[in-house]
Amino acid sequence: MSKTKQEPLVDRLLLEKLERLTLRWQKSFPGLIGGHNPSRFAGSGMEFLDHRNFHAGDDLRAVNWRAFMRLDKLFLKMFQIEPRVPVRLLLDVSKSMTTGTPSKFLYARRLAAAMSFVGLVKHDTIAIQPFSGELHDSFTAGGGRHRFMPTADFLSELEPADRASDFMAVSKAFIGKYVQRGLLIVVSDFLDDQDSLKPLQYLADFGHELQLVQVYAPEDRTPPWKGELDLEDAETGQHLELSFDEDALAQYTAAFDAYTESIQRLAMRNNGRFSSIPTTMPVEEAIFGPIVASKGIA
Amino acid sequence: MFLLNLSFAEFAALFSVISAGVFALYLFDRSRRRQTVATLRFWKPAEFPVQMNQRRKVQQPLSLILQILGIALLLLAIAQLKWGSRERNMRDHVLILDTSAWMGAQGSQGGILMQEAKGLALAWLKSVPSDDRVMVLRADAAATPATRFERNKQTVERAIRESQPAASALQLGQALRFASEFQKLHSESSGEIVYAGAARMGDVDVATVPANLRVLPVDGPSDNVGLRRMGLRRSSTDPEAWDIFVSVKNYSSSPRAVPIGLQFAGSPAGTRTLQLKPDAEMEATFTYRTRANGIVEAKLLASDPFPQDDRAVLEIPQQKQLRIAVYTNEPELLRPVLSANPNMVATFQAPAAYQPDPADTDLMILDRFAPPQAPKHDTLWIEPPAAQSPVPVSGQKAAAKLTRWTEDELLGAGLRTKDLEIEQSVTYRPAGTDIVIAESDGAALIVARPGAVKNVVIGFHPIKTRMRYELATPLLFANTIRWMEPESFRRWQLNGGHVGSVAVKTEGKVDPSAVRVMDEQGAPVPFTMADGEVRFFTNQPGNIRVMTGDRDYSYSLTVPEVGDRVWEIPQKVRRGIPARPVVGASSTDLWYWLALAGLAVLATEWFLYGRHRMRVRTATVSTMPPIATDGARKAS
Repeated sequence: MSKTKQEPLVDRLLLEKLERLTLRWQKSFPGLIGGHNPSRFAGSGMEFLDHRNFHAGDDLRAVNWRAFMRLDKLFLKMFQIEPRVPVRLLLDVSKSMTTGTPSKFLYARRLAAAMSFVGLVKHDTIAIQPFSGELHDSFTAGGGRHRFMPTADFLSELEPADRASDFMAVSKAFIGKYVQRGLLIVVSDFLDDQDSLKPLQYLADFGHELQLVQVYAPEDRTPPWKGELDLEDAETGQHLELSFDEDALAQYTAAFDAYTESIQRLAMRNNGRFSSIPTTMPVEEAIFGPIVASKGIA
Repeated sequence: MFLLNLSFAEFAALFSVISAGVFALYLFDRSRRRQTVATLRFWKPAEFPVQMNQRRKVQQPLSLILQILGIALLLLAIAQLKWGSRERNMRDHVLILDTSAWMGAQGSQGGILMQEAKGLALAWLKSVPSDDRVMVLRADAAATPATRFERNKQTVERAIRESQPAASALQLGQALRFASEFQKLHSESSGEIVYAGAARMGDVDVATVPANLRVLPVDGPSDNVGLRRMGLRRSSTDPEAWDIFVSVKNYSSSPRAVPIGLQFAGSPAGTRTLQLKPDAEMEATFTYRTRANGIVEAKLLASDPFPQDDRAVLEIPQQKQLRIAVYTNEPELLRPVLSANPNMVATFQAPAAYQPDPADTDLMILDRFAPPQAPKHDTLWIEPPAAQSPVPVSGQKAAAKLTRWTEDELLGAGLRTKDLEIEQSVTYRPAGTDIVIAESDGAALIVARPGAVKNVVIGFHPIKTRMRYELATPLLFANTIRWMEPESFRRWQLNGGHVGSVAVKTEGKVDPSAVRVMDEQGAPVPFTMADGEVRFFTNQPGNIRVMTGDRDYSYSLTVPEVGDRVWEIPQKVRRGIPARPVVGASSTDLWYWLALAGLAVLATEWFLYGRHRMRVRTATVSTMPPIATDGARKAS
């Protein structure tokens, strides 16, 4: 199928609504002027901040020549320094994302596209990093909203990996690849057979500010099947035969919710944010609902 | 006990296949379902009890038994299980489908009556038990079986659908008699005799109404006016004129003024308006002069629901003239005799202009003249020279008294003389095949010789003897010429009418061996002769030609025959389609009880087992609440 025939991940009406939003983070990262509050420091930037007297060695391009003509004194224009906190989006493309209806994989890409657009509108630089058992080829977008189309194309062309997710390996690789701390958005179902809490804690301890977005299909939380089941793990291929009834369903849902709460607690404990979104919820509703409510986007 | 719709083998095979299917579906429904999930981590901790039962083991035997029992009961209902004897239950019905011409009339439902009758017949056929046999009888002027007693309903249905209105009127009494006789002779257990149609019939009444008669009545229109007959014959006073008569009948119960238009070769030839009383028939007469051949069409200029009988067509044949070449030195002698008949044209020439085969000549007359070459047309020789006479001369006879005229039907017709004496005549010696027309004391004076070229020899000149004052003289010429060229003197009578029985009243004494009745292709049509009438029957529209000697009757039987009256169905006769199949008293119909029992068993199974399964599935699929996280709670 050609690109032109593909349905856009985010429609135009939603993009117009997303223009007024901003990616939020709270931490001050070492070596960076961060946060979305205007910087107290002057420097190279677009927004005018103040005037000061000219000193030898200052950049002559910043001299206010109009003031010199009127007052016969040299004044230097100072501009507000814009934050340059790196934003990284870890997007789960493992096999577990292909299970369930509606598709978690498609839903996660739509969410990633919407959040990338929010960042691009505010001139944030966003690195989209797909992962499964390892880090895949990444894409870095920055420079404004007109760079959204390449971002959307990159997300549209993503294919699910034929590998199981391994959060620990991915966390180590991520820290090795991205030394600079910043905002880390993780879009995943967080459903793997290994423990994903420890790697997430490892990333938070390294200094990243976590924004965790859990995407799950309805059947992940409430399986619709009853009776004799032969279950196959989508990632590992392991089989499990069991008899499933309403009592078992209640136990299953309780276990799922407990796991979700443990991820949420981890995010909160590290001053991060957490959103759990079913794929039946429209993307617009997810952005303006759970994600805005968690203050990941404002 | 027997199965009406299926044999036991068919039932067993069907039951086995369906039971096997149900059993397979049962095992499949309760088999372990394979599902792919994102992770097994939430399934393991729950420690759900794993069923160790084998997949192919029946876990709910009562459910399976109830399902199979329900299906068996429904299958028995479809197979129509009955108590009783199959042989005693089978019955033979006769379906009389009215295919008379009237069934082509427009009905009240937009289509023709035939379509309504077919619909009723098909509906009745559906109510007939499948074990019964049905014979389709198409009834118009004759009752024609379209099928034998047939158990295959598709064959019967096809025969019904292929039935079309014919051209004759319904003879219902005859059809009912035929159906009853046929049932008695060919059926062990008589069923119903079912009549479907409008019951407008040509016979007077139905003498005997069978006790097992059922009528599927079709309401026909009541305001029809139609042509009954049309006839043409040469005017007796004017040889170029045709007398045309048209007979019209008013079938409705109210008086009607009916205009009639006559056309010849597409041009108007006359109009009349008839004031017709209810149920009355009137005749309109036209006279039209023409010698040409062409189509004469009579048409009713009023619309009615049965337009087929509003038009009749006859073809006028060309009137052929007989061309006679007369070689004589005294043409004034023969001219009066030959100019009497307008159908004859005589040309008079001198013997020197003789040709043995002149053009445009049908007959030759040689007056006291012996040609050098024998003529190639039929020839009348008047007193030929003895040496060249076609019949050998035996001698001369003076004062020959005509003592005997021939008794031949044609040659001697009307020839009578009394004490007529011919002054001088040649006598002839006829051969064995020759016909002596006139003789005098055993001596042949006038001889006719048949053959490829016919010759008649007269031993004296009729105009130059005393015979010129006798009536026998023009008759002798007329008979001779008619014997030689009978076609030229054939009298035509053209009739238009409807198919069915036709009686032709002949004129005079007619030799039965000379009568011929032929259809358009020249094929003979069977006929009888009685009381001076030629009678024949045809149920196919077309032209029939009846030839009786010098008469030629042409019948154009293209007008559809409409019955005179509608049969009043007696009160005791059953009407309409039975609500429930009519089954013989020797069996009891169980199918509806079996169907109810089957549905009850399946409902019980669903109540005990299926309902629970369905509720669980629908509930788990429809309820997918989002997880209650802090963010989600705030958003909501």
